[in-house]
Amino acid sequence: MRFDATPRAQSGPDGVGTVLVEPDEARVLVSLADQIQALLADALEPGPDRDTALRRLLPDAYRGNPELADEWRRLSRRGLVDRKIGFARALSTALAPFAAGDHPGTISLTVDSALDWVRGIGDLRLVIADRMGIVIDGDEGTFAEPGLRDVYELLAWMQDALVQLLEATEPTNAAADGVLP
Amino acid sequence: MTGRMASVTAPALASPPLDVQLEGKLDERVLHAAEVPWTIVVWNDPVNLQSYVAWVFRRHFGLAEMAANTLMMQVHTEGRATLAHGNREHMERHTEAMHEYGLWATVEKAPR
Repeated sequence: MRFDATPRAQSGPDGVGTVLVEPDEARVLVSLADQIQALLADALEPGPDRDTALRRLLPDAYRGNPELADEWRRLSRRGLVDRKIGFARALSTALAPFAAGDHPGTISLTVDSALDWVRGIGDLRLVIADRMGIVIDGDEGTFAEPGLRDVYELLAWMQDALVQLLEATEPTNAAADGVLP
Repeated sequence: MTGRMASVTAPALASPPLDVQLEGKLDERVLHAAEVPWTIVVWNDPVNLQSYVAWVFRRHFGLAEMAANTLMMQVHTEGRATLAHGNREHMERHTEAMHEYGLWATVEKAPR
């Protein structure tokens, strides 16, 4: 896989660059993106989240205050789940044609699609870290089979590359209200 | 201009000095819910890259590069950093956005 910021002009005014994808990589990513969509759909079931990864994807907004945490979850859960499913779907939709083929292909990324990708990939890393048993900084994971670790590293590399593409094109935002210091 | 207007004193528009306004009543006034100060706290996690966390702080909170890096390092070394303060609804919106980015964030009452 290779990210390239240079052909941004060809991708239109919102273009941030392109990504060259190998069929094997596309297949892995589409499979992961499909799986996380199913996992996220479980988060809409009533009751506490059974999967530990869901607790990290959709953490409580209040610590030590179950009442406020429940209220917030009731109000925000569906929207957050829908948007996170959307991030994963952006990955699978863009990559599916290359997963089905035998040749590498190039995908043009806009600001919006790169934002979906970087967040979808971040969510995948959270789930994989949970499956690997990564708990603290520098943790190699208790269940880190090599295949899983390779995918985890690939996703980290993609996250970093996408941040660089987005940084190169995005204007600096005005400071948000109430931001410290 | 002449006549009746001449005897009318213009109302003072300037605010009274701050110490007069407060006059020892700071702790007694009942705050409206929207005035209770809350904060958003971002917690360390072993997964998200430092470059990603700093970028999220720049992009979402509009922080300059140095401030974003300082807060990212604070999250990394101290385990948490306070990113913003304001009313509860506002801090909940920031928290929801952080969760969209996969960062672990919570809303807390501001220390008083």
